Amino acid sequence: MMRTGHTANAATPAPHAAGLVLLVQDLTRAVILSGAAGLVLLLFALGTAQLVNEARAVDNLSFEDIFPSPGEVYDAWELHQDRLLADHIPETLWETLAGLAMAVVLGVLIAGLMDFSPLLRWVLYPVLVVSQTIPIFAIAILLILIFGFGSGPKITVVVLFCFFPVALSTFSGLQSTDPELLSLLRAMGGNSFQLWTKARLPAAMPSFFAGLRIAATYSVVGAIFGEYITAQVGLGVFLKRSYSSFRLDQAYLAIILTAVLSLLLVLLVGLIERLALRWYYTSRRRSWRGPGIY
Amino acid sequence: MEQNACIEVRGVSKTFRDGGRSVHALDDISFSACSGEFVTFIGPSGSGKSTLFNLITGLSEPDTGDILIGGQAVGRRTGLVGYMPQRDLLLPWRSVLNNVILGPELDGQSRRAARQQARELLPLFGLEGFEHAYPDTLSGGMRQRAALLRTFLTGREVLLLDEPFGALDALTRRELQRWLLDVWQRFRKTILFITHDVEEAVFLADRVLVFSARPGRIVTTLEVDLPRPRRSLSLMSDDLRRLEADLLSALEAGNGA
Ligand SMILES: Nc1ncnc2c1ncn2[C@@H]1O[C@H](COP(=O)(O)OP(=O)(O)OP(=O)(O)O)[C@@H](O)[C@H]1O
Ligand SMILES: [Mg+2]
Repeated sequence: MMRTGHTANAATPAPHAAGLVLLVQDLTRAVILSGAAGLVLLLFALGTAQLVNEARAVDNLSFEDIFPSPGEVYDAWELHQDRLLADHIPETLWETLAGLAMAVVLGVLIAGLMDFSPLLRWVLYPVLVVSQTIPIFAIAILLILIFGFGSGPKITVVVLFCFFPVALSTFSGLQSTDPELLSLLRAMGGNSFQLWTKARLPAAMPSFFAGLRIAATYSVVGAIFGEYITAQVGLGVFLKRSYSSFRLDQAYLAIILTAVLSLLLVLLVGLIERLALRWYYTSRRRSWRGPGIY
Repeated sequence: MEQNACIEVRGVSKTFRDGGRSVHALDDISFSACSGEFVTFIGPSGSGKSTLFNLITGLSEPDTGDILIGGQAVGRRTGLVGYMPQRDLLLPWRSVLNNVILGPELDGQSRRAARQQARELLPLFGLEGFEHAYPDTLSGGMRQRAALLRTFLTGREVLLLDEPFGALDALTRRELQRWLLDVWQRFRKTILFITHDVEEAVFLADRVLVFSARPGRIVTTLEVDLPRPRRSLSLMSDDLRRLEADLLSALEAGNGA
């Protein structure tokens, strides 16, 4: 049997007409795709040109001002070490960890609710997306009015930065539970609660950790961002003061410390993940046996 | 307890509809099996055997007809029978030992007692030394044996086994068949067993139900009057071959030939 598709009842010219339609479709697609690729390249070139031109136009700072030597950055560390270790870093760390923990609880809770009820999913999903489109500056004043000038607003900023990846990836993890596995548990007499604890939650764990790693990456930056708006202590404040007094060596120090904190946090999450998901990492699909289908 | 071992299927039909298409999977299936009977099901692929098992487990309901277990209509009630699906469906995040005790655990029984019982059976299932391994690190056959052990440990009177030995080598298959007959006789379980293997269907069964091609109907019921215990195939090879030949011709007839 030949497959003639929709043109089955047409007369002899049908194959030619179908061939022509296919040709036109292929051409259209090729034109659109190459047009899009061309547009991206053009914007890239224009953007680069703009950056280069502007950098050339501004030359009141020397190269050495913009890029202090490692030695200078180290001197800045020697000078501010005490204050940094006693006040700024602990404050930033506290805001980060508190915010991240709250984001995890909130994110998992939201994911659970969205997984639990299609109605809640329908309501919550747009709220989640909109929450990510609010510029943090726009609500900074609001946060200060609510929480004052302490750690509260910064923790809130961290939560706003971090709960979204956790919620979204945990949700998709919950949704991806093998439906036949759930059927089996049902067939064995499991109730909805047991289906949750024994199948859905464990199945969602790899996705949850993927989200948590993203959240951990953003969390320190979130805290710095919050501090930058207004604060008395924290790495963000240190950074802001460094800039306003044109101490770029100090600014670099703050940037490096931020990066180190983020890195340590991500490593910590990775370690916890390895311990919690031993089954995931010992599965031979991902282990030393290398690629293969068994 | 003895009552629970009875299963009765009366005039069950099932049609699946999705969109415009509809698949008539089962047509007027009736049979019953009681206290310690061993019934095997054989039929072409797509003849609705797994569908029938899903109805018996209570996962879905028949369009017409009734299914009774221990004299009570199943409807949407689950957990009345032990069920081993065609795919092993082990939980990838659990070790073998924790996988096989899933049944008792869902029933709210003590995990320690269940583990103890499971450990005693591990050697028989060739899983000794693998109790702490994750399913993804096992071979296909080992996974299937773990799934079979899990089904047994549910402790139900009626067990539905959907091609439990499909992925096993001939030797292990033979060994587990004997073991299954042993356990079945010792505990008087009622076993419904799907297979594609004509010899297996005859060797195990009191009765073989032959399904036709879609829509699945029972075209023949073959009584297997071989003496028990059936330890060795060779002792009864003549009778066995005769029954196998009968079964094959029934299958061919049911396949719409
Ligand atoms: N949920 C469903 N929706 C639509 N069609 C279905 C559904 N479940 C089963 N079917 C169809 O019903 C028929 C019987 O399927 P079933 O899995 O019961 O066959 P089977 O006898 O177990 O086959 P096999 O021996 O290959 O396992 C098939 O044609 C299948 O496509
Ligand atoms: Mg099947």
